[in-house]
Amino acid sequence: MKLLRVCASNFKNCQEKIVIDFVAKSKKTSEDKQYELVKVADELYVYSTAAFIGKNASGKTTAIEILDCCYSILGEFRVENKHYNYDGISLEIIFYHEGNIYKYTTKLQTDSVLENRAVFRRQHVYCKKYYKTKLNSIYYVEGFEEIYAPGALPDDTASIFFILKKNKTTALYFDSCGEGVDTYQLLFKVMKNYQIPDKILNNIIRIFDESIQYLQKVDDHNYRISVDGKSRIYSDKELIYMLSSGTTKGILLYMMMAASLQNGFDLLVDEIETHFHKTLVENMINLYKDKTVNKKNATLIFTTHYCEVLDLFNRQDNLWICQSNGKIQIRNLYDNYGLRSGLLKSKQFYNNTFQTAVNYEELMNLKRGLMS
Amino acid sequence: MKLLVMCEGANEKAIMDILLENHQLSFAADDLLGLVTFHARQIRTSGVVKAELNMYPGKVKILRIGDTQTERLTIPSEYSDKIVSVEKYCTKPELEMLLIISEKLISEYDKVKSSVRPKLFAKQNIRCGRRRYDNSTEFYRDYYGSDYKQLVAAIREYKQHKGSHQKDELYLADLLIR
Repeated sequence: MKLLRVCASNFKNCQEKIVIDFVAKSKKTSEDKQYELVKVADELYVYSTAAFIGKNASGKTTAIEILDCCYSILGEFRVENKHYNYDGISLEIIFYHEGNIYKYTTKLQTDSVLENRAVFRRQHVYCKKYYKTKLNSIYYVEGFEEIYAPGALPDDTASIFFILKKNKTTALYFDSCGEGVDTYQLLFKVMKNYQIPDKILNNIIRIFDESIQYLQKVDDHNYRISVDGKSRIYSDKELIYMLSSGTTKGILLYMMMAASLQNGFDLLVDEIETHFHKTLVENMINLYKDKTVNKKNATLIFTTHYCEVLDLFNRQDNLWICQSNGKIQIRNLYDNYGLRSGLLKSKQFYNNTFQTAVNYEELMNLKRGLMS
Repeated sequence: MKLLVMCEGANEKAIMDILLENHQLSFAADDLLGLVTFHARQIRTSGVVKAELNMYPGKVKILRIGDTQTERLTIPSEYSDKIVSVEKYCTKPELEMLLIISEKLISEYDKVKSSVRPKLFAKQNIRCGRRRYDNSTEFYRDYYGSDYKQLVAAIREYKQHKGSHQKDELYLADLLIR
């Protein structure tokens, strides 16, 4: 299963329909096929890396949350414990699965009993066979035939269950809030669930702190750590103080990345640069592009304020600009801006080509206030 | 110092990867920037190469692998201190010369070389099992992947056969272990 396109309406403060399309649209060079694209089927390519960029409060997190919602439906057939109101959200999810293109549409509503859970209304599932000769019309209505559910399901379970049949992680979501001291529990849970060996954990830790030889779980709240050859047990509260919350989050994110790369599911990261060095961001992007590492076609989808990161993207169609003028707009760089290739994207960003610059007058107003 | 191997095309990369995997090169993966070879014509247009150069703090020597390599490699100013030298390794006029040599068709090709490009000659005359040569990376993998010795032999023979390299154009054979 690979997600191809999402259309969402009435999601948080997006009034317009938001469309996020992962199918490569612009010219596919052999270098792109090597690095920035992953092959789903003959001539059908999606991105190995995709980014949403914009200033604060521009809708970047909303874009990631839309995708997280869709991945929850595709992986767990449920939407629960999200931090937004489900009522009125309309979704159209198009994905590729075993030679077919599927379209799933639904309208969400908050469960009247379990308010943290959504129920699915007006569900429809359509299917058509994928043909490479019809690549340009995969989203067209022509050819789609409705598949009717062979039985009844609880209304908090998406009918796409009848197609995908079993729970499977389709993506992990790393938000920028963090889990505090519970991060270590989550770290070892990811390792256990996705069978990541201790060696990888030690490799990751040493990227962040070379003096640490290993970190082991003693129980849910206590961990043994070896620093400069001396081993000691720390509680999670002591450990987060010792390693810093930034390093702790970084280690978890890198572990989720390892799970994603080794298992082939996607990774959603909000504000990728928040807690570590730009080199570590560049390294993550390169690992997803490298097919000797990313053997199972995982995709890294992230939001960032770092416009320099955009210069590591050769393509434009895997970049989206987020803007908010009362309502959120998410525009594809290729579809909406017609940027000449060869121009540095970061330079365009600073030149305010995408209307993403921080308001200069407001900056000066603050300075004036501090001067007086 | 690390080596940055920049292959002009996906097929050149496949050839280099077969040699690397079978330890036939005078360097190992550990000597390479990013532990791998790259498919990149220019640094400026390759996000992966730029990211690798950003990550590595030391000096880098570039090995360009391609056929005629008429396009000049431009070194962006931010990397000019880091890159100590650039060497060109060619298979002129086209990579398909290696297949033609392996098929022992070199004398046949010499008869028509003024009018037929090696790529076209290979498409007309070379097969791997039931598959006709189609300029694909999979073909090179199928053809040489299970028999790297044949590839090594072709690379060595190419150096003996071909005499029109410029002074700065080295041979793939120069990268092989002695």
